[in-house]
Amino acid sequence: MTATTRPTPTASRAAWARKHLFRTPRDSVITVITAAVLFVIVWRTIRFVFFTGRWEIVRVNLGLYLYGRYPTDDLWRLVVTLVVISATAGLIAGIIAKRTRIAAQAAGTPLPGTSIVGRIVELAFRLWPVVVLVALLLLLSETITPTLVTLATVAAAIAGRLVGALLPKRATFLAFVLPGVLPVVLLPFLTAAQGWDDWGGFMLTIFLAAVSMLACFPLGLVLALARRSTLPAVRVIGVGVIEFFRGVPLVVLVLMSSVALGFFLPQSILPGKVVRVIVAFTIFTAAYVAEIVRGGLQSVPRGQTEAAQALGMSPFRVTGWIVLPQALRNVIPALVGQFISLFKDTTLVFVIGFLDVLSVADAVTKQSQFDLANFAEATAFASLLFWVGSYTLSRESQRLEQRLGVGTR
Amino acid sequence: MSDTPGTDAVFADATQVAGTGGVMIELDGVDKFFDDFQALKDINLKVGKQEVVVVIGPSGSGKSTMIRCINRLEKHDNGRIVVDGTELSDDIRNIQAIRRETGMVFQSFNLFPHLSVLENITIAPRQVRNMPRAEAEAQAQELLTRVKIPEQANKYPGQLSGGQQQRVAIARALAMKPKVMLFDEPTSALDPEMIGEVLDTMQSLAEEGMTMICVTHEMGFARNVADRVLFMADGEVVEVGTAEHFFTDPQEERTKLFLSQIL
Amino acid sequence: MTSATTTADQRPPLWRDVRFLRVVLQVAAVAVVVAFGLWLWGNLQDNAETTNIPLGFDYLDQPADLTIPGSDFNQSQPVSDAIIVGLGNTVRVAGAGVVLATILGTLIGIARLSTNWLLSNLARAYVEVFRNIPLLIIVVFSYSAIFLRFPRLEDARTYGGVFLPSVRGTGTVWITTDDRGGAIAVVVLVAVVAAWAAARWRRGVQDRTGSPAHGFWFGIAAFLLAAVAGLAALGFPLGYSTPELDGRRIVGGITMLPEYAALLFALVVYTASHIAEIVRGSIQAVPKGQNEAATALALSSGQRMRLIVLPQAMRIAVPAIGNQYLNLTKNSSLAVAISFFELTKVTQVSIANRAPAVPSYVLLLAIYLTLSLILSSVVNVANRRLALVER
Repeated sequence: MTATTRPTPTASRAAWARKHLFRTPRDSVITVITAAVLFVIVWRTIRFVFFTGRWEIVRVNLGLYLYGRYPTDDLWRLVVTLVVISATAGLIAGIIAKRTRIAAQAAGTPLPGTSIVGRIVELAFRLWPVVVLVALLLLLSETITPTLVTLATVAAAIAGRLVGALLPKRATFLAFVLPGVLPVVLLPFLTAAQGWDDWGGFMLTIFLAAVSMLACFPLGLVLALARRSTLPAVRVIGVGVIEFFRGVPLVVLVLMSSVALGFFLPQSILPGKVVRVIVAFTIFTAAYVAEIVRGGLQSVPRGQTEAAQALGMSPFRVTGWIVLPQALRNVIPALVGQFISLFKDTTLVFVIGFLDVLSVADAVTKQSQFDLANFAEATAFASLLFWVGSYTLSRESQRLEQRLGVGTR
Repeated sequence: MSDTPGTDAVFADATQVAGTGGVMIELDGVDKFFDDFQALKDINLKVGKQEVVVVIGPSGSGKSTMIRCINRLEKHDNGRIVVDGTELSDDIRNIQAIRRETGMVFQSFNLFPHLSVLENITIAPRQVRNMPRAEAEAQAQELLTRVKIPEQANKYPGQLSGGQQQRVAIARALAMKPKVMLFDEPTSALDPEMIGEVLDTMQSLAEEGMTMICVTHEMGFARNVADRVLFMADGEVVEVGTAEHFFTDPQEERTKLFLSQIL
Repeated sequence: MTSATTTADQRPPLWRDVRFLRVVLQVAAVAVVVAFGLWLWGNLQDNAETTNIPLGFDYLDQPADLTIPGSDFNQSQPVSDAIIVGLGNTVRVAGAGVVLATILGTLIGIARLSTNWLLSNLARAYVEVFRNIPLLIIVVFSYSAIFLRFPRLEDARTYGGVFLPSVRGTGTVWITTDDRGGAIAVVVLVAVVAAWAAARWRRGVQDRTGSPAHGFWFGIAAFLLAAVAGLAALGFPLGYSTPELDGRRIVGGITMLPEYAALLFALVVYTASHIAEIVRGSIQAVPKGQNEAATALALSSGQRMRLIVLPQAMRIAVPAIGNQYLNLTKNSSLAVAISFFELTKVTQVSIANRAPAVPSYVLLLAIYLTLSLILSSVVNVANRRLALVER
């Protein structure tokens, strides 16, 4: 054996640049042009963010952006809600983590233990857009209160996580029960100060998105099953509903919910405007969810159904115990994608005069001390709120997809 | 297959060529790295004209990497590779010249699913060798007859069995009239009953005098056809000999261990 | 002794008979849907009576009483005409959007796959930014923060003589013809046929002699040749006009309303980010072995892309991109937020002008459904032609 020499040390920066930036003359030209474009973009962004942008428009109206015109005296209700939700999320995460650990031990592959500080640091890096956004919000706020609220929220999450990990295995049911109980308790608590028809800002956005998400899932599931039914009449109904709502623009449905839906219901039971628009979001998204679930159902091999039938299971059990669990697991990423779309689509309530984030951005430019020239700042901030939300969600969904993929093959 | 060495012949190293027709492929001190992992360590190999070399070895031993370096599917990092007098350099003309003279058959067939069998076979001669269509198609028909599936010309790869697909892949490689054929585990992805038909095709190819390097674990094929068998492990050529040598008198421990697992 | 086994002759009780259950379930499902529909219809009738708003489509013949910027629609024309103008605007913005978004999206998708680190990451940043911002915000931003910030007409100036941005509209250079527009159209048609024929002829030559076809370049050459010859025969009736300021309006060239430009810009920027991901994904979805096999056959990198990778990537991309075209068309309805008079805005305004809401929206939904059906059947045809032959 002669001694072998490594061709090029790949760790070297010059070598890296030669391989990734200047491999061929054409590559070098591309690099230079791209760098120029990038420079202009970065330079203009920095100039806008740090020098030309008039960010008072956001600073002054921060409350309006976040919680609309929620009564100032009742803001403590929002704080309580935030802390409770955070603690619950922590609790559920703790319960799940414990179960994963137990399952891993049972399988003979115990997970490596990590310190709690390490976990928090890792989470902060993973959710960096959220961390940056919160830091920005705290920077824009003028009092110490928001900082305290943030600390309380984080503390609640950590406390919940620790408690969740300590709970016995019997408490697992909490992970399913709490998300159902929480809205029932918190909504009356919040609406006691202001009915949801008057809500606004990011709070309204999250409310619309969350309720529509919860409602569209069962409906979508039913539609998907109807479309896959072996009964022709049921299938036709399923196809009709799905294709109708996928073929029309959501804006039109939103407009109709405000103007035309009232004609189709007795005036005595006509719900408020927020519920009406939630109906529009729900039905529209359900049609898409149905198509996603249908794809998932098709991805489950026929042999699974046949094996279950051969074991003597009834059609309902075959679907509910064998096919659906596998189908849903396959489509979680696509469902998250649809929910991200819904989250972004809640901005459409702008066209029917709700005070959501986008409407706030539009309205504040009409305040006397600002004008249309500040529109860029106002909408940039609104975009940031949405961007952080949907970017984080999509990244987490990719992570989940990878983790789910590990066991499949 | 002229002048096959005696059954007990042991080769001093992999550069000792069987046969007398001169050297077709020469690997001289070839190294290959994947980041920090060294896949090939100082490979020295000569393959004579019309010689058939079978390469065996555990997975990850560098067998596939070695033959993939010969037509530049992987770029070797050190050493020289010469095919039929053309040295594989960074010159795209040399690379393409060597690829034109080198046919390759893959484990997973890699037929083009959007083209019919006939188009799969004619695409390279027509696009690379500028062959008129009628001529290319006549040649393709001839090759399909040679691999014993003349009736499948107008089907698509998705309509064929694995064994048929692999035979089309051999015909596709032969359509370029290569001087060398590289086989990268051509039967590993096949059902047992289809392995025979592919091996038969390869054997008749060898009997017609094609220079071949075959990565395969079919020791029966090695015994019938190979002039030399190379055993590779950990990126090195560990032992060279005839198939008989490996059956009766393997020298190295690693060779013995491996053979005990596959035989 | 009675037999323990049930035989096929014995009819099971009705409630266990599979055939009977299937009928009952279907009848029940239909009954529920019909009852729900009748209930809605009854409510509609009641409400129409109490509010005294008609349910018929007579309003379509009434004067629309609205003005549509950028068209010669006048207020006395009926609502049906306004809807047709709106449909035209929808098609105009969706058509241009589809073309531009495809070009931009494809470029960015390819850039995303570049081996150049800087370029691929810039493309990635583009995709990540625009995919994760609501389209409506982009629409409103593009209108209020870009196109409405263009100079007032008084301060407007042209850039390079071809581009005249102003808050009242953006002018660009455009082709002009004399009164022989028909003859020019014929010339263009002949040139297209010539290009097609040249490409076909070259393919024939390749088949016979084997020499490379270069059909694309011969086609371009034939097109140019035929076009120049034809136009020369007509005495070069083509010209171009540049946008210029004439007092309070832009003359010459072609002028885009800021509403149109803003909507188009937003739709293109947003949809391109989705198309880019589809392009990247479908090229990456072509198995690596395909490229390797083509490489081993000595096909050049251009041939590999053109003959092996792209045809297979197209197969994966077409349904998804078709879906994006559908979305873009439906999303053009976001124009309501910035008052570009396409279908939805026209409907919204005519309802404000006392057109009855329910028939107006029913008509609107019907039009969108028709558009969707047309588009998706085109996509289906394309899809079927690209489908692989499997066992």
